[in-house]
Amino acid sequence: MPEKPEKAIVLSDLRRVYHVSKGVFRKKREAVEAVKGISFNVDFGELFGLLGPNGAGKTTTIKMLTTLLTPTSGTAKVLGFDIVKNVMEIRRRIGIIFGGERGLYYRVSGRENLRYFADLYGVSLSKREKRISDLLDMVGLADRADDRVESYSRGMKQRLHIAKGLINDPELMFMDEPTIGLDPEAARETRAMIKGLVEKGKTILLTTHYMFEADELCQRIAVISNGKIVALDSPSALKHFVKDITVIEVEAFGVAEKDLAILRGQPEVTNVSADLEGERQTIRIQTPRGSEFIPTVTQLLSRARIMDVRTKEPTLEDAYLKLVA
Amino acid sequence: MAELQTLWGSFRMSMLSFFADPQWIIPNIIAPFVFTAVALIFFGNVSGSLALYAVLGGGMMGMWGNTLYGSGFALAFDRWNGTIEYVLATPSRLVWIVAGRSASSAFLGLVNALAILVVAVLGYGTQLGIANPLLFLLALMLTLTSLSALGIVFCSSFLLTRSAQVLTNGLEMPIYVASGSMFPIALLPFWTHPLSLSLGPTWGIDAMRYAADATYAGMGFGYWTDLLMVLFSTIVYLAIGFWLFIIVENKARRDATLEEY
Repeated sequence: MPEKPEKAIVLSDLRRVYHVSKGVFRKKREAVEAVKGISFNVDFGELFGLLGPNGAGKTTTIKMLTTLLTPTSGTAKVLGFDIVKNVMEIRRRIGIIFGGERGLYYRVSGRENLRYFADLYGVSLSKREKRISDLLDMVGLADRADDRVESYSRGMKQRLHIAKGLINDPELMFMDEPTIGLDPEAARETRAMIKGLVEKGKTILLTTHYMFEADELCQRIAVISNGKIVALDSPSALKHFVKDITVIEVEAFGVAEKDLAILRGQPEVTNVSADLEGERQTIRIQTPRGSEFIPTVTQLLSRARIMDVRTKEPTLEDAYLKLVA
Repeated sequence: MAELQTLWGSFRMSMLSFFADPQWIIPNIIAPFVFTAVALIFFGNVSGSLALYAVLGGGMMGMWGNTLYGSGFALAFDRWNGTIEYVLATPSRLVWIVAGRSASSAFLGLVNALAILVVAVLGYGTQLGIANPLLFLLALMLTLTSLSALGIVFCSSFLLTRSAQVLTNGLEMPIYVASGSMFPIALLPFWTHPLSLSLGPTWGIDAMRYAADATYAGMGFGYWTDLLMVLFSTIVYLAIGFWLFIIVENKARRDATLEEY
């Protein structure tokens, strides 16, 4: 066991290339560079966020750090151990929580799931049952512990995932989109649990799609786009990227994609995001011109029925959109 | 100690999952019964060595089928559940996880084989005197271990491919026939003999017949030689299995093939 390292995670120019096959009869192999030489450090006791769009390289990075994938080049140390050479030392000391429905044995009980992973992590038999009971209490599943997992709600499954990730009492936890697909209440419970873990001294590397979640939880955030780190700072510092920008938020009915294209084509507009699903639509327009740009917006959206227009302070989401654009 | 905990934990989880999913009972439990019944009806009112072929043939089918499917699906099962990455991310060596699952399949095969024996004797009135029950049991246990070890070798290749189902379907009958479970390997073409003799179960089932039938001539090597060959082949299979697992585990991490199914 080496001396306690200064940093929980140290990445240096980490790179990962996948080889994918195309075609059926005349197969062609193509190299896809998912992670293009990223470097960052995570401190002990820190909740560090990795933010990025789908396919940005977040999950690949987590898989390399958890020893599930080998990097193509570059180096990384987790808790002072090399991710290629010291695989078992790392695995003993980390916990993993991937979001989504899968990753549990559905036909057996929650308690049996935990018992199995306790065995795979080599939790001593004298401590095993107590730790399982404590974790089930912690995640609020004690009364359903002996029911089959297939009868659990989505939120209960996620809480079981968290208990599973803690079964070896890890120093460091990797959470890949832990609130994905959860209803608001279950997501809030999960976030509260994550905060609780940090208060207990755990180090967490978290990926998420949800900006408010990253803003609420993370001490520092690395924004990853197209396999590269495009920004790394605290949430408040990241918001400074858009300090000269005003966000005009429009609530409307009947906004079409071509209206958004026209908005995006305006030289004064730096970014447009829209939620066009459902009847009532919300469009967020970033512009350095502030509220004086509102008449132009209403004119460009004249074909739609506008319900409300307001200006807002830029959020982490606005900073993120600017960074990954 | 940690390896034993992994082995036992995987054995236990595999048994729990098996009993929680009734669909496996059809190929693993019912099919060998049907096979034995057909053989007993086909041979008529048999006793002695013919009955031994029928009952041991059915029993071996149960044991081999269970082990092969158990090994083949040991990891495919995790791919379907989305648990493969969680399992691989633990500090347990994959080979011990698979060994536990393979052992549970072999154990189910043993229960299956014993049930076939009981049904053949009680249900069909088959007279199956076992000359030396202790030696028979010893050969049976070693054959079972050999089957598990063979399952581990196959399982390592299943980690690299999403075609585990095709491979298991394709391997079941050839190995069953080549091991001489239902009829002597002398009846098979000569070119198949090297394959037969490289299979631990071939020697194991021959040893079981020696122990059951005092007049059995078999392959001509005798009980103890057969037993040594089972032991030797099992050690070779385990060595190959351990070596292959280290290779395929590294390859899966390098090629990112863990989640493919």
